[in-house]
Amino acid sequence: MQKEMLSINHAAVDYPAFRERLKKQLGSFPWWLAALAAIAAGTFWLISTRESYNDAFTFIKAGLSVTITTTLIAYGISIIIGLVTSLGRISNNLILRNLATLYVEIIRGIPMMVLIFFIALVGVPAVMNLLKELGQWITSLGWVNAGNALISLKNDAIPMNTRAIVALAVTYGAFSAEIFRAGIQSIGKGQMEAARSQGMSYGQAMRYVILPQAIRNVLPALGNDFVSMLKDTSLVSVLAVRDITQIARLYAGRSFHYQEAYINLAVLYLSMTVILSFAVKFLEKRLQRDELN
Amino acid sequence: MNSTEPIIKLQNVSKYFGRVCALKDVSLDVEPGKVVVIIGPSGSGKSTLLRCINHLEVESAGEVWVEGEHLNGNQKHLNSVRSGIGMVFQHFNLYPHLTALQNITLAQRIVRKIPQAQAEENARVQLKRVGIEHKADVYPGQLSGGQQQRVAIARALAMNPKIMLFDEPTSALDPEMIKEVLEVMLNLAKEGITMVVVTHEMGFARAAADEVVFMDAGQIIEKAAPEAFFNEPSNERTREFLSQILER
Repeated sequence: MQKEMLSINHAAVDYPAFRERLKKQLGSFPWWLAALAAIAAGTFWLISTRESYNDAFTFIKAGLSVTITTTLIAYGISIIIGLVTSLGRISNNLILRNLATLYVEIIRGIPMMVLIFFIALVGVPAVMNLLKELGQWITSLGWVNAGNALISLKNDAIPMNTRAIVALAVTYGAFSAEIFRAGIQSIGKGQMEAARSQGMSYGQAMRYVILPQAIRNVLPALGNDFVSMLKDTSLVSVLAVRDITQIARLYAGRSFHYQEAYINLAVLYLSMTVILSFAVKFLEKRLQRDELN
Repeated sequence: MNSTEPIIKLQNVSKYFGRVCALKDVSLDVEPGKVVVIIGPSGSGKSTLLRCINHLEVESAGEVWVEGEHLNGNQKHLNSVRSGIGMVFQHFNLYPHLTALQNITLAQRIVRKIPQAQAEENARVQLKRVGIEHKADVYPGQLSGGQQQRVAIARALAMNPKIMLFDEPTSALDPEMIKEVLEVMLNLAKEGITMVVVTHEMGFARAAADEVVFMDAGQIIEKAAPEAFFNEPSNERTREFLSQILER
């Protein structure tokens, strides 16, 4: 009796189909994500059980606020630069178009590390000197107070943190300009024609018809840019800005605990970027869903 | 302005795209309140002619006059002239990020500076005029082609235009939706609004046109009242075109 039931049960499991389903489920499971979680958990375990890891983590996390504020401010400025530049790139005005293209091509043709040195240590002082010259000129015109205010500007009045933000913003401005340009050009020219045929100016048509659609289309790309920016803030450590990378270097150099310092640093970046990437993917899905409606 | 004076006047207009000549020395007068239907084979310059009237294409030579004013490239002036010319496109060109109602209020608000509430009220009147007042809060993507084109017509009408330009308004529509759009256009024609219509719908031309213009190779070949045009076309090319079209 029992034996019979067993054999029936065995027959009830459609073995090949079951295996197929299992294979499919195992195949679609995000193993990489589980591995990432394991890495994070492992690091967390190290931090909570080993004093040397705990020391390193406590030291390094002090740089988080610099990393995050640098990212946010530089990104915000780069978006504005990018939007303005993209409008210049597609402009009919010869001068604007060429200036915008020149800027984008220069930035794209120079390694980011070199750009950061250049903008922070050459570009910013050059602008300061220019302002001083301007101050002298204004003084010679008779506006002594305004002129003196400019003349008294000092190069070292601009802290390295600010220079780093300027450098990242100017660099990323060129990248986001290309994103915006692609977004604007992805909107059919019928939209501009419809808006212009109703009597809107070019600017009005851009603002009310083209840009709302273009920006929506490029939101995921802009999100990915934000993730890249977060990682690239590590480059500002070359300016001795005390972001997490710089602090980890300092810690490693002082304590010779290279492993502790750089595991902590790497996992810190990884946790932030993975979470942000998921946010971007979520946004992308939302936008696609809205599109279908 | 004298009422018999043309509201649209094209004077020896030519248009080149690179080396391709799309319009060759075309002159056309449209009197106020008249419905002019332009027909002709594709590539004959019909759409280019229509688009010259509101300067979506700028003529290479010749002059365009609208309501007695010369379109001379002054952008501010052009914008104000355009706001009085409604245009309906083959592919509707509705703003997909805005609802039907918002599509209709946008230009009223930012070009005409009409307050939101009043613009919305007007928009609803126009939606009713084209028979889809119940779709006010729907996005263009959720509308059928015929409904989208009717919203586009309402959007143009909301600016209270003296002139309406139609650029093959039914060419992108499924056959069963053509009728609803043509009905709206027929009603407009009866209301006495000046219309210039590029179309392949001969039935509409017969029923609504005051004048039918036949174009070929960038030139106006023949111009006549519809009965004369369809019954006894004088030009050989017109006869050929009509026989091809009407055979179907």
